Amino acid sequence: MEIYLPIAEQSMNILILLGLGAAAGLLAGMFGVGGGFLATPLLIFVGIPPAVAVASQANQVIANSISSLQVQWRRGNVDLRMGLVLLLGGMIGSSAGVSLFTYLKRIGQIDFVIAVLYVVMLSTIGLLMMYESLSTYIRRRRNPEAPRGKLHTHYLVHGLPFKLRFYKSKLYISALLPVALGFVIGILSAILGVGGGFVLVPAMIYLLGMPTTVVIGTSNFQILFVAANVTFLQAATNGTVDVVLALLLILGGVVGAPIGARIAAKLPGAVLRAMMAALILAVAIQLLVELLRTPVSAFSLGTREFLQ
Amino acid sequence: MKSPFLLLIAVLLSSITGAEAQGPRIEPPPGTLPAPGSLPPTTLGTPGDPGNLPPSVPMAPSVPELIVDFSQPRVSITSAFQGENILLFGMFDPPGEVVVVVAGPAARETVMRKERFLGLWLNTGRQAFDDVPAYYAIAASQPLQRLLARGAGGEILSLEDRLSSVKPVSPRPPAELTQFRGGLVDVKRQEGLYPAAIGQVTVQAGRLFRAELPFPSRLPEGVYDVRTYLLRDGKIVAAVSRPLPVGKVGFSAQLAGWSQHQGPLYGLGAIAMALLAGWLGGLIMRRL
Repeated sequence: MEIYLPIAEQSMNILILLGLGAAAGLLAGMFGVGGGFLATPLLIFVGIPPAVAVASQANQVIANSISSLQVQWRRGNVDLRMGLVLLLGGMIGSSAGVSLFTYLKRIGQIDFVIAVLYVVMLSTIGLLMMYESLSTYIRRRRNPEAPRGKLHTHYLVHGLPFKLRFYKSKLYISALLPVALGFVIGILSAILGVGGGFVLVPAMIYLLGMPTTVVIGTSNFQILFVAANVTFLQAATNGTVDVVLALLLILGGVVGAPIGARIAAKLPGAVLRAMMAALILAVAIQLLVELLRTPVSAFSLGTREFLQ
Repeated sequence: MKSPFLLLIAVLLSSITGAEAQGPRIEPPPGTLPAPGSLPPTTLGTPGDPGNLPPSVPMAPSVPELIVDFSQPRVSITSAFQGENILLFGMFDPPGEVVVVVAGPAARETVMRKERFLGLWLNTGRQAFDDVPAYYAIAASQPLQRLLARGAGGEILSLEDRLSSVKPVSPRPPAELTQFRGGLVDVKRQEGLYPAAIGQVTVQAGRLFRAELPFPSRLPEGVYDVRTYLLRDGKIVAAVSRPLPVGKVGFSAQLAGWSQHQGPLYGLGAIAMALLAGWLGGLIMRRL
């Protein structure tokens, strides 16, 4: 069953799009991350123009994070102060990111930059996760009573100025660090159409030293507003947000997320993380192959311009 | 909306059938497309039937040598659009051959060329061309080369001739320009916008003709120019140019219009949609 996507300007099978949304939702439910980092490359694989895929995916991220934030907010797992500081950087980063996106699109390099960034990001994260989960697994098997290691270590960054007290996170650190973190995530969000949770969450735990209980809720808070900013700016400057595409992804995700959560409850954490790492690496390799392989046609077309 | 021309045919038909209860031999073209909103194909034969022409055209001062119409007055891109074949049909005064040229709106197209750089394929060259038709297709009742060889060139251009006239926006050595032009044709061909084979104009009963115009799913919007030529001994004796608007309609058109003209508002709408869908979705799934 085909549906015409008005902004992507092509027809596409509804079931493929719902399935993609469900797969992303499944990941979201299983691992607590948005799944956008897998959905965007997959959308590009099935033939959606990268610019439309990224912008529409940002739109989908909003739905994903609001439904997760609902739960976290009610449980009081959102450090509002930290969220707002992150958001300050996030807003600047995502606005700069959309400008950069527009520029790259104009000079015809956006597809390449998206692919390269995905390869670098996915392979780094995939390898790190694979290493972490395998070593945990091996350590546990040798010595089940092994200590879990410190979650909160003091680094050099704690010497930076503009220190702020974050009561909920039990932290007293420089505001510059979360602002910078938010900025980087904002740029990623604008160019890659991801929420950035899979970078933000580990960074909040290992870099900022936040307690894990408030990490998911706070990251969702920041992601929600950054994704909304990206959606707005992409729609206003590039006109590349396809709401029909986004809605289908959201609908698929609504079905996929609870299934993922149920699967996650039955599997040990290390196994789960190893599975996710394998998945991330597979997508990274696929993208890398696309970049290395001789293309079917060396030529492609940019946007058509009407001269008045 | 019916075009004035369709109305004219309808009026003509009703006058004929009113005057002559025993209508003339009606010859339906075989295998016609049942397109919505199209005229019943059987009515086509009537105005062209020999013994019947004089009384059938009381309103027209003279009999046109060439009449053309479409099975649909426009190509409507709806939410269910997957590409479409439009039937072009008409009548001509024999003898002669019919050639149909369909050209989409012309615009500036930028062709990008990928090259291997440090092992990766990325766009290294770009060349813009002006006056590139969004779509270009030709159908003819005889092999085109044979028709054009007899001297109708100049007005009727094959795809290659049409593209050799597109102007490069920036200078570049001719050999490379040819490469980029070739690349342009390849990409357009892949998208079905420059159908490779020259289509067939089928002639029935010596004077009725029909041709199918294939339009792919990724179809640029605009007013397409459909020109039909009647050739006799290699010379153009009649030509009819009819616009064929291609555009999104209904929901698709609304969304695309908002996205294009009211970007900020569209963005806010998209955010509201996602918030509502995410919130409702979360609510529903937690209840289950």
